[in-house]
Amino acid sequence: MRTLLLASAIALFAPAAFAQTVFLDDATIVDEAGQRSTADVIWTDGAIAQQGASLTAPQGAETLSGAWVTPGLFAPMSTLGLTDLGSSGRGNDISAENAPTSVSERAADSFNPRSPYIANTRGRGVTHAVVAPGASGDSIFAGTGAVISLTGEFDSVLTEDAFVFLSLGEVGGARAGGSRAAAMAQLRAAISDAEGFFRRYNDAPDGGDALSRQDANALRSAVNGDIPMMIQADRASDLVAIIRLKDENPELDIIVVGATEAWDVADELADADIRVILDPLHNLPTSFEAAGARLDNVLFLEQAGVDYAIANLSSFRVVKPASLAQHAGNAVGEGLDWGTAFAAISSVPASWFGVESETVVVWDGDPLNATSAPIAVTIDGEVMSMDSRITALRDRYNPLNTDQRPHKYR
Amino acid sequence: MKNYIVPLILPLTALAACQPADSSSKTNDADKPAPFASTYAPQPSSTVLLKNAKLIDGVSKDIREGDLLVADGKIAFVGTGDIPDGTTEIDVEGRFVTPGIIDIHSHLGNYPTPSVRAHGDGNEATSPITSEVDAEHGVWPQDPGFDEALQGGVTTLHILPGSANLFGGKGVTLRNVPSRTVQGMKFPNAPETLKMACGENPKRVYGAKGGPASRMGNVAGYRKNWIKAAEYKAKRDKGGDYKRDLQLETLADVLDGKILVNMHCYRADEMVQILDIAKEFDYKVATFHHAVESYKIGDILAENDVCSAMWADWGSFKMESYDYIRENVPFVHAAGACAMIHSDDENNVQRLNQEVAKTWSDGNRAGLDISKAEAWQWLSTNPAKALGILDETGTLEPGKRADIVVWNGDPFSSYARPDKVMIDGAIMYDRETGLKPKSDFRLGYADLSEGVQ
Repeated sequence: MRTLLLASAIALFAPAAFAQTVFLDDATIVDEAGQRSTADVIWTDGAIAQQGASLTAPQGAETLSGAWVTPGLFAPMSTLGLTDLGSSGRGNDISAENAPTSVSERAADSFNPRSPYIANTRGRGVTHAVVAPGASGDSIFAGTGAVISLTGEFDSVLTEDAFVFLSLGEVGGARAGGSRAAAMAQLRAAISDAEGFFRRYNDAPDGGDALSRQDANALRSAVNGDIPMMIQADRASDLVAIIRLKDENPELDIIVVGATEAWDVADELADADIRVILDPLHNLPTSFEAAGARLDNVLFLEQAGVDYAIANLSSFRVVKPASLAQHAGNAVGEGLDWGTAFAAISSVPASWFGVESETVVVWDGDPLNATSAPIAVTIDGEVMSMDSRITALRDRYNPLNTDQRPHKYR
Repeated sequence: MKNYIVPLILPLTALAACQPADSSSKTNDADKPAPFASTYAPQPSSTVLLKNAKLIDGVSKDIREGDLLVADGKIAFVGTGDIPDGTTEIDVEGRFVTPGIIDIHSHLGNYPTPSVRAHGDGNEATSPITSEVDAEHGVWPQDPGFDEALQGGVTTLHILPGSANLFGGKGVTLRNVPSRTVQGMKFPNAPETLKMACGENPKRVYGAKGGPASRMGNVAGYRKNWIKAAEYKAKRDKGGDYKRDLQLETLADVLDGKILVNMHCYRADEMVQILDIAKEFDYKVATFHHAVESYKIGDILAENDVCSAMWADWGSFKMESYDYIRENVPFVHAAGACAMIHSDDENNVQRLNQEVAKTWSDGNRAGLDISKAEAWQWLSTNPAKALGILDETGTLEPGKRADIVVWNGDPFSSYARPDKVMIDGAIMYDRETGLKPKSDFRLGYADLSEGVQ
């Protein structure tokens, strides 16, 4: 019943109180690599003031035992700040079905750091995220994605042009006109357009085979390998096609998203230096291209030495990144090493996108376990608020709330 | 059977169980069996003693240590008791033993994987009133999702039509057993259910197809059809000649208390409107589904004795789900209303225990004091009560069906997995021996049984 005791202790800890001095007795400390150690921590004004094997609680400090202290989580896939609701309509900037543009659509231009989902998600220990647009129109290219921190501030876009996102497989095939071959033809043509940008478009704005001038220009940095090309694909044969593409264009820096059947070509992906973002909960043949879905996909990638990150790619999109830790925890349940799973939702994706931020999350238990939650989050030394729209609703309607006024006055 | 409150809907169970669905029609031969009757028969089982278990029984607020005897597919005793000769003893070495999980909101079979268009058999989206259709006629027993849900400890499922229509059609309660037919899965004598839907979905689907186009139209649609149903029922009660109408028959059966109403509804204000309609036409709503705002009206739901089937942390995928919180289930429970978890999803159904673990811990973090054993009621006891099958399953009590999960760890953990899943005493899944069902669909694809070496 340790968790319960801890949980009731936390109820007494208003987040504001946590900004003062707290003594974390026998805390589990997790480093960037996911390695664990035990130490006492004196936490003052939102930072680790002292850490040691056996410290004495400062006078007047609250004592909390069983806490974990970790780096912040990094969500390798999200649509945070791109939409107010999951359903389509005004306010949803994830994709632009009727726009003539594709690669040159930048998620950073749509991103709203004041979206309530930023605070909701930060409350689950996520401090950084990839923000990716979705495929639309007749292009396999969804656009250019960003990397953000979850401070909720207007300077929180860390990399505006972080990667180009595109779809192959069934989605890409449908966008390209109806087949995988059409999707791949569009991709090869687009790469040629970007490579030959100055030659093709110099005197002819419509000189490209697949892309308009602005989209070809936007694709150049991905084609040069300066930023990753993130490709959504699942079927093993599609992954083999991507490996071939990489053979032909060795400068491409490819991250595959989905990779449901990656276990079948894990060694080949490792040899080709292709990175992978996968959801370790995907085990149903949700489509024919996922017929080989299995829970231990991640174990095959680990054994083959593939560089991979873990994401939630399954449930409703705006709330996806909040349950990131649970997805990594389930990979541990299937046999993945704890530290490896933790790194796959923190330092691994952070390193891919060059994020070097100082983040600390204090949890009331093992962060990969479903019953744990953060009690403090700091980003670059700034103490983050733990309040959000969902906690405001919670507090207004808490059955323990003794306020007798109508709810709207509470 | 003394530790729990007898649910108010149990009398309905008895009523439904002793009346064939079509008994009211004069055109039917009384000797004919009801159409689509259950042909479910438990798999063979032996007398098994699960020794040294940590028992979460779905009734007690405490985790108990003890043994559990399964005989003739039923629970013979929980704790201690007489062990017959020839009993197979399984020492579970302190592992958790729980009731099988019941998912009251599933579309396994009627929105099966692979999710191709041809598999979309859950919404008869041709009219807002389709109370004449039955979910069981759209269920594909080869959905690979059934097999994966079993490995997550799910032993009973309630498959519902989708939420496109005001009156969507009848649901069906299934044993989660491999079968070639739906009839072979049907929970024998489980009460019939009706799916209805509030809010955005019906008005979105029919807004440009003759309506309803607004919540006003939704309510008018319910009321107009309850009036028709009352007329039909009056004719039927009189016993004279009348033309059998499948659509009205379902609604009249609701008015007769034979069918449990399962209402898809998100917003608090809308749920209370629905309760008023139920009072106007003298029927009962058994369960609100999704019920993202039930936490706002826990007191009203408790007064009206209506259950809520909820997610742990899903919301904001549309306007009516915008006000989701992570404490919905425990807040409704704390208000004294009947609360439970549900999946509505082929992934979450595989780990409903984790969904409860999340919302349970968040509730306690908000100041509540609910034990794990008490929170387990959200996984099996309360769904069984809401489906009218609590006298048969949902708890570990003598005389009930031996629907049992043995876990390899604390089920309130992301790391725990079922080791063994029993349905009616028969081991249907066994992690150790590799026993598990495999859908026809899985054949001929890559062999997934070999793990990393």
